[in-house]
Amino acid sequence: MDKNIIILLGGKMTKKLFIVFISSIFSLFSYSTFAKTTVTWWAETNADRDPVFQAKLVDAFNASQNEIELVMEFKEGLNDILRTAMLSGEGPDIVETPGPSYVKEYQEAGLLQSMEGYSSQFGWEDKLLPWSYQAGVFDGEFYSAPKTFETMIMLYNKTLFEENGWSVPTTLSEYEDTAAKIKAAGMNVFAYGSTGWQPTHEHLAGMYLNSYAGPDNVYKALIGEKEWTDPEFTGAIELLRKHMVDDGYWSGSLENYYALGWDDFHAMFASRGAAMMTIGTWTFGATTAGFADISDEWDWAPFPVLRDGGDDPSYLLALGTTMSINGSSENPDAAAEVLNFVFSNKEIVLDMAADFQFGEFVVPLYFAEDDIRDSVSPQVKRYLVDFAEATGKGNYGYTTWTFWPADPGVHIWKDMEVVWAGDISVEDYMYDHQKMWDKARKKGQLLPVGAR
Amino acid sequence: MSVFFSKNSIAWYFIIPVLAIHFMVVALPSLLSLALCLTDWNGFGKINYVGLENFYELFDDRYFKKAVWHNIIWTFLFLTVPIALALTCAYLLTGITKGQMLFRLCFFFPYMLASIISCQIWKFIFHPLYGLPAWLNSKGIDFIPAVSPFTVKETSLYAVAFVDGWHFWGFLVVIYITGMYQVDNSLYEAADIEGATKFQKFRFVTLPLIRPIFIFSIMIIIIWSIPTFDYVWILTQGGPAYSSEVLATNLYSQAFDRFNVGYSSAIGTLMFIYTIFIVSIFGVLRKLGWEI
Repeated sequence: MDKNIIILLGGKMTKKLFIVFISSIFSLFSYSTFAKTTVTWWAETNADRDPVFQAKLVDAFNASQNEIELVMEFKEGLNDILRTAMLSGEGPDIVETPGPSYVKEYQEAGLLQSMEGYSSQFGWEDKLLPWSYQAGVFDGEFYSAPKTFETMIMLYNKTLFEENGWSVPTTLSEYEDTAAKIKAAGMNVFAYGSTGWQPTHEHLAGMYLNSYAGPDNVYKALIGEKEWTDPEFTGAIELLRKHMVDDGYWSGSLENYYALGWDDFHAMFASRGAAMMTIGTWTFGATTAGFADISDEWDWAPFPVLRDGGDDPSYLLALGTTMSINGSSENPDAAAEVLNFVFSNKEIVLDMAADFQFGEFVVPLYFAEDDIRDSVSPQVKRYLVDFAEATGKGNYGYTTWTFWPADPGVHIWKDMEVVWAGDISVEDYMYDHQKMWDKARKKGQLLPVGAR
Repeated sequence: MSVFFSKNSIAWYFIIPVLAIHFMVVALPSLLSLALCLTDWNGFGKINYVGLENFYELFDDRYFKKAVWHNIIWTFLFLTVPIALALTCAYLLTGITKGQMLFRLCFFFPYMLASIISCQIWKFIFHPLYGLPAWLNSKGIDFIPAVSPFTVKETSLYAVAFVDGWHFWGFLVVIYITGMYQVDNSLYEAADIEGATKFQKFRFVTLPLIRPIFIFSIMIIIIWSIPTFDYVWILTQGGPAYSSEVLATNLYSQAFDRFNVGYSSAIGTLMFIYTIFIVSIFGVLRKLGWEI
């Protein structure tokens, strides 16, 4: 080949290489300068919920700024996948757990980052309801924020009550009297069932423990100043046993209660198969939908006070899901920015919660009556206001799935069946329960309970 | 060099990838699980050695003992009812020439269904409000109470075993019938000449000649009965009141509800030892010359 041609080609090649080199440098520079930080967030998948989260949270956050790209991934069986990922130093930046007992295990294993600094920086303690904030404080530092809160209530068919002249019970005698009247009218007292979700029993156990023994006593037992074998607690469980087994309050019989699932008991309640339903506020969406095409109207009331002397009714505090930052997250600052976006945008929270009739994504922020939009049903609106007022006055109790450590937390519902089967006495059951609490206390497994 | 390319070596080359995967997926986790039974690991954090404490606790645990007893009942049920039914049906089917495939398909069909589907079918059949007994009751036929047997502590274990057995027995029919077709027809002809009844032919010709398959079925039933989980979990989750709790549901609950992974590994270890024991018995019998 001619030498000149080689020089010419070489010259052309050099020029091309130079252009490629400059472009590469520019792209690298621009990428590192303008590339967004990605924050991943894993959530349990749900066909109804996922599109709302994507549109109203993820897209809204990504549109609100140019530095962070939030990616929410919806997973089936999140708990198991998450645990495996976390143990191998992987997983999302934002970690969701079903409740504080899980947070405790992750936190103790050093798998979560303390959010104490972010909380101080962004003022989260002032934005979240105090009890919900305290439930995320482990070893003096803030580790988990609530994604939704809930409480147990008593729903009733308002139309049916009015037709029969029944009044909503507020004391034990009224409660048993109303139940007798409902049964005499050929209906079940409550629609409820546990098939598909065996821990349903703990909803009832928590209501009876708080309502019969009183939240103050439950609090004392949680912090170790009372024993679960005390008569207030055995009395509560005995009363629940009587109402469940002897009187068949729930779906007519213990066997039916075991056999009915979510769709069954909602259908029973909406079709006048039962006059009332004891359930958590997560039902709001389903109950509103169930009564949408019928002429009956539903309403709710706090669960009656079952102890002598009565008192103001109280609402059980419960966290549905928690949010934390993964200990191995490479972008904890960006993850905290995402969480702060949630806690600082009441409008977005209210908008999303309204889509679920306040059965989901009710981040425990300070809501005022005016904040709640008109599309929310009046019953739900009343609940939000009442809950804030009552809990603000200290009228609150404790749910087992938010304040009980793992082992006693399972015992309370799993072994409840043994009591109902008559295989063990209430006293023996509570004795075993106390033993599990002693063991959990000794091992330092107790969950945070804010001072009462 | 020739050793590496001998016929025997080449077979090993084909097996090695499978062995490697098996080691990673089964053997290694099993060994780790065996080690975990001596710890108090909760599945998340620090692992502390606790010696045999988990086993002491286990032998004192009334629900573990209950689960062991339920596994024994389960094994006994599966060693009797489905085997008796399958043997009878398989033997009767060998005498049918027209439509035999249809029967075989019908019996085998439940085996092809996913456990979740089989369970939902039976759950719905016995649903206290919308199930078959409830419908019959509404028509005035009330000799079957409208109560789901899965929710009554006296019947729950048997009800779950029934559903699992319903799905499983067709599989036994197919393997027995395959064995019965291997029996030389001349033996039946000889028996006919001797004037043997149908039962005598079954007892003295069929049964001895399908013995390897029969013993194999017994062995797999005993082994499969130990980790039985899916039907129990879907239908009752071990309830009510632990009345259908078996070892696998007990293990699962300890590991994933209560975060007692060390304790549940101890349960797993005992299940493993038991399975090895059963397999060893069959191994010894084979060494003693039994045709199994």
